[in-house]
Amino acid sequence: MPRKARWVKQQTGGAMTTVSHKTTNIDHRSTTSYAWDEAWGLLSMLLGYLVICAIFLVLLATQARADETMAEIEHLDDVSQGSLLFQNPHGRYLQAPSLNTDVAIHVSGMIVRAKVRQAFKNNSDAWVEGIYVFPLPEDAAVDHMRMQIGERVIEGQIKEREEAKRTYDQARQAGKKSALIEQERPNLFTNSVANIGPHETVTIEIEYQQLLRYEAGQFRLRFPLTITPRYIPGQPIQQEENVSQFNGLGWSVNTNQVPDASRITPPLWQGEGKLNPVSLVIELNAGFPLTELKSPYHAIQTSAHKAIHTITLANEQNYADRDFELSWTPEAAHAPRAALFTEEMGAELYHLLMVLPPQPEQNKTQRLPREVIYIIDTSGSMSGISIQQARQALLLALDRLQPEDTFNVIAFNSSINLLFGQALPASNHNLDAARRYVNTLRANGGTNIRPALEAALNIQNESAALRQVVFLTDGSVGNEAELFSMIHQRLGQSRLFTVGIGSAPNSHFMHKAAQFGRGSFTYIGDVNEVQSKMKALFQKLETPLMRELQADFGNAEAEVYPKRLPDLYAGEPLIISTKTNLNTHTIIISGKRQQSTWQNSIQLDQGMKGRGIGTLWARRKIADLMDQQHEGANKEIIKQQIIATALQHHLVSKHTSLVAVDATPSRPESEAIEQQAMPVNLPHGQVHEKIFGLRPRTATAAPLHLTLGALFLLLTLLLKPRRTIEGA
Amino acid sequence: MILFRYRTLFFWLALALSLWQLFQGGYLHAKALLAQHLIKHAWHETLEDLQQHKPWPWADTWPVGRLRVPSHNIDLYVLAGDSGRTLAFGPGHRSGTALPGEPGTTLISAHRDTHFSFLKKLTTGDELLFQGINGQWQHYWVSNNIIVHQSDAIADSHENTLALVTCYPFNAIMPGGPLRYVVFAETQKMTPAPKAAEIIKI
Repeated sequence: MPRKARWVKQQTGGAMTTVSHKTTNIDHRSTTSYAWDEAWGLLSMLLGYLVICAIFLVLLATQARADETMAEIEHLDDVSQGSLLFQNPHGRYLQAPSLNTDVAIHVSGMIVRAKVRQAFKNNSDAWVEGIYVFPLPEDAAVDHMRMQIGERVIEGQIKEREEAKRTYDQARQAGKKSALIEQERPNLFTNSVANIGPHETVTIEIEYQQLLRYEAGQFRLRFPLTITPRYIPGQPIQQEENVSQFNGLGWSVNTNQVPDASRITPPLWQGEGKLNPVSLVIELNAGFPLTELKSPYHAIQTSAHKAIHTITLANEQNYADRDFELSWTPEAAHAPRAALFTEEMGAELYHLLMVLPPQPEQNKTQRLPREVIYIIDTSGSMSGISIQQARQALLLALDRLQPEDTFNVIAFNSSINLLFGQALPASNHNLDAARRYVNTLRANGGTNIRPALEAALNIQNESAALRQVVFLTDGSVGNEAELFSMIHQRLGQSRLFTVGIGSAPNSHFMHKAAQFGRGSFTYIGDVNEVQSKMKALFQKLETPLMRELQADFGNAEAEVYPKRLPDLYAGEPLIISTKTNLNTHTIIISGKRQQSTWQNSIQLDQGMKGRGIGTLWARRKIADLMDQQHEGANKEIIKQQIIATALQHHLVSKHTSLVAVDATPSRPESEAIEQQAMPVNLPHGQVHEKIFGLRPRTATAAPLHLTLGALFLLLTLLLKPRRTIEGA
Repeated sequence: MILFRYRTLFFWLALALSLWQLFQGGYLHAKALLAQHLIKHAWHETLEDLQQHKPWPWADTWPVGRLRVPSHNIDLYVLAGDSGRTLAFGPGHRSGTALPGEPGTTLISAHRDTHFSFLKKLTTGDELLFQGINGQWQHYWVSNNIIVHQSDAIADSHENTLALVTCYPFNAIMPGGPLRYVVFAETQKMTPAPKAAEIIKI
């Protein structure tokens, strides 16, 4: 303060010093207080002046913004229909980049190697950053990424997630072309591509390795093509002041239950037609003669050359709006019962082992009475074809119950509704009531899974010999991790069977929920499949399973995944990945049936050489580590283990990303870069003939006027004419 | 001194600006409040003769329904269309969307600081009543609410659903923010999700 006072004295110098010279006996204190008055007057004046300037500026800016908004809308009218536009933060409308996806999948025996090429074409005159949230199979081991600019190819490097993001951001700032692949969920990734020049195309090629599914004598390959919009539970955690910084990448704000919600909710395409044309080529080298090769959801064209089948999509135009599935069945004599693959990497040996236990002898094992709880998802994302499939499936399931069984039905969306207060016997009367109830179910509202699962798992009747929870849903939620932990903690004696419904269910949720629930997963993608798929599920529910599976490696050192072998249901093979230091020894696999034990020994040195077996092992190790985290293991330790494994095997994971950076800048410093989230299609069959925008401006300027009014009022107090000057 | 003369000038200037702004703010609220009284008369006439009645001669809108929320003492007259001009007087019904009793989503928007400021208080299970032109009261129960970006859209439903839209956050000072708060209500009441402890008792 003294310093400030001195400064004021010097400033007001002239007049004051002359006064003090004349009155020599004036005491020091009064001079100071006089100066203080003077200073205060001046200060408040300056302050007032500043505040007024600021307020005028704010008013001007508001006015300018409103004017600009009007201008934008006019501008929007000028643009021809059908083109995809986006609005930059300054309110300008630009032609959005478009995206083409080409998928090439190579299948060799049980191993899948796939290349996904995403071509980002910038249709505007500005420099653009494209951000695309896209699905991949939930067990895909993403190990390569390449950025292609014209003829040049830049190979992506694996880095810790934060470091990769920093590298990308720096390149983006510097005007260099760069690409970044991040994992949001095991089946959901983000591809960011920075500095795509005006009317330029940048192609990103992503490669992954995967293991085929083999169940009930059938091989199945799935490739997801779009994302069913996820339900985001919880309270927003973003500070309200920061809301304006909403980055436009996702339609949801982050919440306490889904802290990364804005990253997993890409904008939905609302215009005419579909976006993101897709081409798909599959080269299938099954290794045995096939009896059946089919794609239930897409028309396909096949051609065979020697043992290799080539499959392409039959329709000329295909769009990313539903999962692709291809299934094939080997001739009965060639149906594999076991398979072993080996890969040597340095001193380490990786094995992948598939064993299919023989079908149980069909002696009439006594059918045990069971308690079955059916949970049916009636949320808005199930509307349309999905709810019909779910209702049909549930009606079939009800028919299957025996009088000695007990059952209940829980319907949920944002809230839950129990058919009976508790599980009741499957009498004709009760079943009729249930059928009537199921027929009234309609799809609407949110997907609040937790209370429904809690209700199903909490009311456990201990007398029931077998307790099964059958859960029909599309799993379109963002809080998967929370639900896995809950299932793990509360499962008790129950077993959870998930039934995936719709064109693009969240397969990561389905598989993991069934795994934590020690049950299995069935997928119904089409109304016509309900009958056959539910039949397969009933077989699982009713055929006694194989429990307490064990793999004995003798005295060899082996790191085996999954760490805890799962229970097996009818038609399911056991698949384990191992890393060992010895090649010549036998492993013994054993398990318990209802009345007998089963045992099988396998010579590890008889494996077929296969590429990428180590990659698959690492991917399964990471999945196992993530599971441990859901079960309550220390997050930081798990994270370090995941990073170490992922970096060694060049894998994308929750904590590691692939990043590619061009060597030289291409965007001139004078040009700005526009960020654009690539919209995704609604899954096929979802009822969205009509969707309504939320554009109306639903806030008046009243709060602004009232706040400004109050501010000015405050200012008048500050500027109140005062009489202290009289002393001068 | 010259500066002090300015001080007086600034004082009066600030006072004038203050009154002007307070008047502007108050005017918006008064307009929102008073218009509803005029619309009320038009609505009663509509119920009598089933014709459209403009609340005042130069209006470009007319009431299409009445929305009540007994638990929060809310009684509002809903106007046709949701242009900015309409929303100044009352909640607006998006033309082309369903009306009460019809299958589909009824979309109603209003300002977050006047008519729809009560949306923030609605919770799952709250009852809403909507009267259509036939005089019938349709019952709805709040099912959920979401916060979305204005560039997002909500899907039409097969069922009769009410979607009430307003700006978010409720207490932001600047108008024109990008977020919307949407409350959904359905014609079926679902049991609110019981708490874990309650479930065990069932």
